[in-house]
Amino acid sequence: MREETSKKILLTLAAIMATIFCLGPFIYMVLTSLSGNPDFLLPTKPFAPSLTNFMAVIFSESAHFLAYLRNSLIISAVAAVATVFLASLAAYALTRLSLPGKTVLLLSILALSMFPPISLISYLFKLMSALGWVNTYPGLILPYVAWSMPLSLWILVSYFAQVPRDLDRSAGIDGASRFQTLIKIILPVAAPGVFSTTLLVFIFAFNEFLFALMLTVDYRSRTIPVGIALFEGIHGQIPWGEIMAAATLTTIPVVILTLIFQKRIVQGLTRGAVKQ
Amino acid sequence: MNRMKTTNRANSSIPERLSKMLSLDREVLGGYAFLFPLLLFISVLILLPVLGTFLDSLRRDLPYLPGKFVGLDNYLAIFRDGSFWNSVRFTTLFVLVSVPLEVILGLIIALVLNETFPGRTALRAVVLIPWAIPAAVSGRIFELIYNYSYGAANYLTHLLGVGPVNWLGTDLGAFAAVVVADVWKTTPFAAIILLAGLAAIDQDLYRQAQVDRANFVQRFLKITLPLLKPVLVVTLLFRTVDALRVFDVIFVLTGGGPGGSTNAVSLFAYTYYAAGDFGYGAAVSVLLFVVALGFSLTYIKIARFGEEL
Repeated sequence: MREETSKKILLTLAAIMATIFCLGPFIYMVLTSLSGNPDFLLPTKPFAPSLTNFMAVIFSESAHFLAYLRNSLIISAVAAVATVFLASLAAYALTRLSLPGKTVLLLSILALSMFPPISLISYLFKLMSALGWVNTYPGLILPYVAWSMPLSLWILVSYFAQVPRDLDRSAGIDGASRFQTLIKIILPVAAPGVFSTTLLVFIFAFNEFLFALMLTVDYRSRTIPVGIALFEGIHGQIPWGEIMAAATLTTIPVVILTLIFQKRIVQGLTRGAVKQ
Repeated sequence: MNRMKTTNRANSSIPERLSKMLSLDREVLGGYAFLFPLLLFISVLILLPVLGTFLDSLRRDLPYLPGKFVGLDNYLAIFRDGSFWNSVRFTTLFVLVSVPLEVILGLIIALVLNETFPGRTALRAVVLIPWAIPAAVSGRIFELIYNYSYGAANYLTHLLGVGPVNWLGTDLGAFAAVVVADVWKTTPFAAIILLAGLAAIDQDLYRQAQVDRANFVQRFLKITLPLLKPVLVVTLLFRTVDALRVFDVIFVLTGGGPGGSTNAVSLFAYTYYAAGDFGYGAAVSVLLFVVALGFSLTYIKIARFGEEL
């Protein structure tokens, strides 16, 4: 009985600490974005609630904040859908067809996802320069598709492997082609997994930094993480209120997605990292 | 018996065998057609760039000068470069400090989330928030937290009765700052993976242990830890590979400073790229690549991927 109580106390304490740890910096960001003065923690400076930071960020011509956000949303969404479609084709082949050497192939592809991105960027930059695609959407979407392919493939393989084979066998008897079987049978049955993978690729692309830093130049294709990282303001002083307002607006879409679909995300992440 | 089967197969009609062969080939061909887009993408945009970086590393390629093949000169220069070893030392220390911290904190959070209590679903969602925020953005949040005059970090030290700490201006302060920011961002991932490992442990073992009057600590040491070990190792390796290539948070938070004390290897290579010295930057990238690949292959072997195919 005594052990039960002490365990309960320990559990509650740990849960509270974990909440503070995870939410603290996030709340500090939101508070700073809502305060007229970023130094509100000083005893002499009271918190001054105001929306001026948000107004400045949204309506400023020079900050290009909305353009960055739009670029990020479009690039990440297109990359996510394209990656998952192409990775589904490959996952179908690897789970359903007898191909020589497919395990080795899958493992080699998985190893690719662990390459340090720094070992790719100089050449990607040269390639995109040669194609004239630096500072364009395709210039960033294509590397994102390639870069998120290995993990998507791995996650999709683990979901596709669970779809009963009788389903596609009966589709085959009904005269469906392999492509039709994938589109009409496997994708719908594995829909939750396909959706998790799409979400993960979207969040990955939305958060990516190094490629975006190298391959974009200005508001025409620059994504929001790079925009925020390089946002220094024009008056010498770092405009913390505005940066935190931009950060808040940026994190809202991902945080909402995460909160709504936490189960899907957790499932996808777990499948991507450990064998179940 | 075996021999008879073989003869049987040999005796089957030639058209039958031919069609069998053809259908197998069609399956293989069709399979590669399905794999083609993926293989094209990763060949052109991952493998080719890595190969290109390797070839670059054998050249001296400076702005306004004709590039030329220099063999291993870049590598020899790197091994004599004190600032390179400095960045290796930082990256090693960074991995050695941040990864264990992430795994230990992640384990604590996973243990909490594995219990049933009111608000468990809410906490599970909250834990994902640091993971979901872009590292560049969380880098900016921590830059404000570490602000010398009014950041939250010095507000807390003030409450504890310690004078203001110059977080980003001193070697030790900047190291701690970078580690804390990274731990904040990546602990959730460790927690999620470890939670999956905990959930897979057979609950009957705990019930039996309770009957045997094993206490909380004994149960953890005798059941949880040994059974969780494979997942712990996988998490450690996964995080190590990721921490080795750390870039975003350091680029934003310290820019490698003060005085190069937090100059991660990725950032070190990036500065050469940004300055137009592609050969040297490429050679540094290749070295990092080789080390990361070693850890990745170990990870893939230990995690026993690909067994269900």
